[in-house]
Amino acid sequence: MNALRFVRLPEGVDLRLLLAAAAIASLGLVMVASSSADQAAQNLGDPLYYARRHLVYLAIAAAVAWLALQVPLATWRRAAPLFVAGTLAALLAVLLVGREVNGARRWLVLGPFNLQVAELAKVAVVVHLAAWLAAHPGLAARHWRSVVRPLAPVAAMGVLLLAQPDFGSTVVIAATAAGLLFLGGLPLRVFAGFLALGAAALAALAWSSPYRLERLVSFLDPWADQFDSGYQLVQSLIAFGRGGWLGVGLGNGVQKLFYLPEAHTDFVMAVVAEELGLLGVVAVVGLFGLLVGRVFAIAGRAVRRQDWFAAHLAHGVGILIAGQAFINLGVTAGLLPTKGLTLPLVSYGGSSLLATALLLALAARVGIEMDERHWAPGRSAGG
Amino acid sequence: MKDGGRPARNAVCPLWRRWLVVGALGGMAAAALVQVARLQVVGGHERDYRFLQRQGEARTVRHEEIPASRGVITDRRGEPLAVSTPVLSLVADPKYLWPAAAEFSRLAEELKMTPEALAQQLRDGDAEALIGRSRRWAERQTAALALPEEPRRRALGKLRGEARAVAAFAALARALGEPAAALAERLGRYRDKRFVYLARHLPPERAEAALAAEAPGVSALREFRRFYPAGEVAAQLVGYTDIDGRGQEGIERAFDASLAGSPGVKAVLKDRTGRTVRELALIRAERPGRDLALSIDLRLQYLAYRELKAAVARHRAAGGSVVVLDAHTGEVLAMVNQPSFNPNDRDHLRLAGLRNRALTDLVEPGSTVKPLTMAAALEAGVVTPSTQIDTNPGYLWVAGKTFRDHSNYGVLDLRGILQKSSQVGTTRIALEMEPERIRGLFARFGLGSPPGTGFPGESAGRLPDRRRWRTLEHVTLAFGYGIAASPLQLAQAYAVLANEGVRRPVSLLKREVAPAGKRVLDADVARTVRDLLCAVTEPGGTGTRAAIPGYRVAGKTGTSHKVGPNGYEAHRYVGLFAGMVPAEHPRLVTVVVIDDPRGKEYFGGAVAAPVFARVNAEALRLLGVPPGEGGRWVVAGAARAGGEGRS
Repeated sequence: MNALRFVRLPEGVDLRLLLAAAAIASLGLVMVASSSADQAAQNLGDPLYYARRHLVYLAIAAAVAWLALQVPLATWRRAAPLFVAGTLAALLAVLLVGREVNGARRWLVLGPFNLQVAELAKVAVVVHLAAWLAAHPGLAARHWRSVVRPLAPVAAMGVLLLAQPDFGSTVVIAATAAGLLFLGGLPLRVFAGFLALGAAALAALAWSSPYRLERLVSFLDPWADQFDSGYQLVQSLIAFGRGGWLGVGLGNGVQKLFYLPEAHTDFVMAVVAEELGLLGVVAVVGLFGLLVGRVFAIAGRAVRRQDWFAAHLAHGVGILIAGQAFINLGVTAGLLPTKGLTLPLVSYGGSSLLATALLLALAARVGIEMDERHWAPGRSAGG
Repeated sequence: MKDGGRPARNAVCPLWRRWLVVGALGGMAAAALVQVARLQVVGGHERDYRFLQRQGEARTVRHEEIPASRGVITDRRGEPLAVSTPVLSLVADPKYLWPAAAEFSRLAEELKMTPEALAQQLRDGDAEALIGRSRRWAERQTAALALPEEPRRRALGKLRGEARAVAAFAALARALGEPAAALAERLGRYRDKRFVYLARHLPPERAEAALAAEAPGVSALREFRRFYPAGEVAAQLVGYTDIDGRGQEGIERAFDASLAGSPGVKAVLKDRTGRTVRELALIRAERPGRDLALSIDLRLQYLAYRELKAAVARHRAAGGSVVVLDAHTGEVLAMVNQPSFNPNDRDHLRLAGLRNRALTDLVEPGSTVKPLTMAAALEAGVVTPSTQIDTNPGYLWVAGKTFRDHSNYGVLDLRGILQKSSQVGTTRIALEMEPERIRGLFARFGLGSPPGTGFPGESAGRLPDRRRWRTLEHVTLAFGYGIAASPLQLAQAYAVLANEGVRRPVSLLKREVAPAGKRVLDADVARTVRDLLCAVTEPGGTGTRAAIPGYRVAGKTGTSHKVGPNGYEAHRYVGLFAGMVPAEHPRLVTVVVIDDPRGKEYFGGAVAAPVFARVNAEALRLLGVPPGEGGRWVVAGAARAGGEGRS
């Protein structure tokens, strides 16, 4: 037991949250391996290329999460402006010196790693809005114009993300910001106004660039253009259809055999659906439900303690992860227009894993600090 | 929740807003799950899982043919005449192979090397060393090295893969024995197609060598190659298949459906690059083709072919046929033709060799129908074998045309008329009968109607049918001018005489039981005519060279003018001999036709009769037919038959 003390979990950490995350991540590793093996063997000469790297990313993400878990919430709150400024600078740097792949400039080269700054921006927005909402309680009473100030950096990030272009991350960030403002008590008519504004902006963006419009309408009837713009979605839908109740069996999927592009990243749920069936999809959705439920339960504790930074931090984490998971599944199942968004903890990709791990570490930290024991006598605050 | 009890303190984050957000997230999860369920398990709508699975199968499941082996054709004793051996055909998908070929050509140009030199270099050194020598590849490598890790690996892997593909293409060309430039050019022509044969019907070891090159998009198809062990000896009869195994000529064509069997079908799962991932199901098992035993005896066939070929060469003839029938069953024991061809190597095929002349080509039977005329006369009772016919002065004037004998034979009986092939005698007898008598007998003997072997191109012959016969037509019918028959038809007619007046349909297929025949001539008349015919091969006859020591041979010579575009040609002939042996109880009926002999000799008795003798002498020995009352002329039987015919 003494050896275990070294890696002992902090007291009060939410075990169910941790187990749900671990379960999703394990399933993700298996599915990344399954969906990428043939493709990797063909293109990279190593069937386990992606699986091995995914495992390394998981280890790094877990280590970073472990470190983040040690940082007191107060520190996060104090560092929020710095975090925002750093993220904005990084987003700007991406546009200037970032690496372009497939027509999108999204990656910053950091030694052996490529960081997708958009993922970092998601964490930054949550921390920033939580800090601002905590600093300005009773937002409801304020004039709507006072909301513009905290949203300015968020909007700036959105613009920089769109310039990459990264439409998906922008939508997730916007949705998270809207959710947080709503929970922060924004008057309904102001909120409705923002929603209308946001919708108008989205529409304008979609109309302004034809390829987005094409993507936007193709999901409604991918079969109309199944060999061109609807190709990917058609292959994804076929994967769902082939899966049935119990799936064709792990590893037996056909759609991943060069039919479905991005099978191991954005469309990993299609492979889950084909190989594990509706049962598998329900299991993944259930695990995400458990995960997000625990995050909201932790937020609830913070609300009762009236620690608004902690509460909104957890809220932000919950909304962001739930929103992104929903959009990802919605896209693969043809419910939403196609966007490049990963499924948190499941899809291949180091940056996404890292950001999700950070967000979950923040939520877990909230859980620790909101635990009765954390403030028990004889313990130092922030321990 | 406890929050509800403290509404005032919780104004910043009202409970209902939290529930609304949680509800919205739950609603989104539910909506997603409903959509997933609609895709996966809920049926009955337009785009349900059945539709999706069908769509998936349409893209991934392919039906592949399992080739069925073609039936073996044998002779009556089981000797193979046509067998199929498994071979491999190399096929390519130009979508994957063409880029390698194109890059090979481009590289040869860029490096200023001949395709042969480049192929040599790729064979000797490793493919990747070439990357350093080609500027375009070097540029691509530099560009790839600047990429981040994963795209870099991908780009470098692609580059190496292409280099390997180019080397594999060169190796493939070498294994196929085709210049790389020529192969590239050929692929270029099919670059928009998804299937092209690289080489067909390779022996397995050569196909394996080509496959070992691992050129992209190249695979092997299992096919069968037809081999004909008897070669030219039975070429027209057996026929051949085309390269896809479909019967084109002869028996191969006539019985194609039964020989071919039916290919099976299996469902296979393919990945997007066209590789078979796994076999899903056997949709239908292949049904191998049925074996076919022909009626011919390969020993007799060889024999007949050898003798015919020799005779055609000796007499510088344009062609010829020999048909040997089993007198009892109507089965064809041999059917050979000249010229012939080698069905195993049809590159230098001449059209003339293709026809199964014994079945398809018509000849005027000429004097060979005289015995039939005699049979008609005996049947009608207008003559007996001993009836004396005065052929003086050796010619006869009928309806403005003179018919001559070789010399003045004086007074002849029927035996003498056949022995000398007397035109005058035959004409006199014919004029004793109604022409319908003669024509009717010819028709009953099968002249003018198809033999019904099922062989493609089988001739029906020509037997004129007139309401009113002019005298000249009446007379010429009697000695076989103005009618036409295939050698097989003539053999069939002689088989009636051999078979005591019973006509059995001829057959190219082996028969277990002889079919019930139809009596078309009185048995005694048939015996009588047979006996009379023996005189032809006896000293003083026109067909002495058809005689076989130890056996009595009944037969008739024939020599007819060839029919050219302007009617009968003066100096071109067809020499015939039709006969049966042993005369007492015939076992074999043989017709020999020598077409257009250009040597000194052209009479049927000179060019065809010797073939008859050689073939039958050997055949009788092979079949173990004991010599009959050889040498003794059985006149008594003939006299008795003639007497009965009179009564």
